Amino acid sequence: MADCNIPDTKTILIQRTLRSGQTVRYPGHIVIMGDVNPGAEVIAGGNIVVLGHLRGIAHAGAGGNQQAIVAAFKLEPTQLRIDNHITRAPDGQKWHPKQPEIASIKNGVVVIEDYHSSGDKHLTLYQA
Amino acid sequence: MGEVIVVTSGKGGVGKTTTVANIGTGLAAEGYKVVLVDTDIGLRNLDVVMGLENRIVYDIVDVVSGNCRLKQALIKDKRFEELYLLPAAQTKDKTAISMEQMKELCANLKNDFDYVIIDCPAGIEMGFKNAIAGAEKAIVVTTPEVSAVRDADRIIGLLEANDLEEPKLIINRIRPDMVKRGDMMDIDDMIEILAIDLLGVVPEDELIVISTNKGEPAVLEKTSKAGQAYKNISLRITGENVPLMHLESHAGIMKKLRKLLGV
Repeated sequence: MADCNIPDTKTILIQRTLRSGQTVRYPGHIVIMGDVNPGAEVIAGGNIVVLGHLRGIAHAGAGGNQQAIVAAFKLEPTQLRIDNHITRAPDGQKWHPKQPEIASIKNGVVVIEDYHSSGDKHLTLYQA
Repeated sequence: MGEVIVVTSGKGGVGKTTTVANIGTGLAAEGYKVVLVDTDIGLRNLDVVMGLENRIVYDIVDVVSGNCRLKQALIKDKRFEELYLLPAAQTKDKTAISMEQMKELCANLKNDFDYVIIDCPAGIEMGFKNAIAGAEKAIVVTTPEVSAVRDADRIIGLLEANDLEEPKLIINRIRPDMVKRGDMMDIDDMIEILAIDLLGVVPEDELIVISTNKGEPAVLEKTSKAGQAYKNISLRITGENVPLMHLESHAGIMKKLRKLLGV
């Protein structure tokens, strides 16, 4: 799993908000300029970047990629999946992210961290 | 040439029919020629809310299948000369009409009326598809509940997919006291998710229940806050710029006081 194994590293750009019931599926990376509302799904073979509010379901690295990430201006998904890991916010706990965050798998668990554009620690992910 | 507006919501029970009855009556009260079309075939009730049930002879299915002329099926309102209702059939189902028939019907109606307002059934199936087939504009009704907002979002997506761009939003049955306590979604929360223009906010009002049961739209009641909200919505549809009214009674009183004092 050391090598990033995305079969198609092309990227699509979606320039609108995904509403409940709408799905985007793509083997490469997905960038969304807009929100992903509750009830909407984004499924990517590679990374998912949402320039907006992610409230729906995001599945990055679908089809087997542990290196995939999900990043959003406001990362508040109903459910977050990376490769075969499925996570959700703890029950009864509500927090509203104030700044962009990034989710990735570290040591076998999905972790969410603040996203810093200056930090190059995520750079390798984009060079997938 | 008139305008065809569909009133829809996805979820049931949020107040589509009440909204259609009140907006239609409000527009007619402003002197426009209006027809209300009930497309909820099999579960009609716009006629009941309008108090016109006992006048139905022919219905929308009779019209599209050629059993009668359009004019024969239109029921004139009790209160306004220029307000008409085209009732739904009660003994058929949603498959009794097609999208093409609906388009043709809307095209015919808008020749004769300033506003054609379509009451859409709940759901996203055939009835919804028929209701939006001939529409040029859409109004989405929601209540401050997570499930209603979710369905409204789905509906907006479907409307956009069917080239009904930029639908307008009505938030119905809001309770300012509950919003203030943080027990109810506030307007900003809903606008943030749905991201469409707000046409109006209608407060919860007991008088709506009373007027619905009596078959007399609340928009004509000057004392009703919901009625006034519907009146404002009607005016906004005609293009007038009416500010949102203050829902909290305290703010209202303070504002009136300041106005009186000229501050």
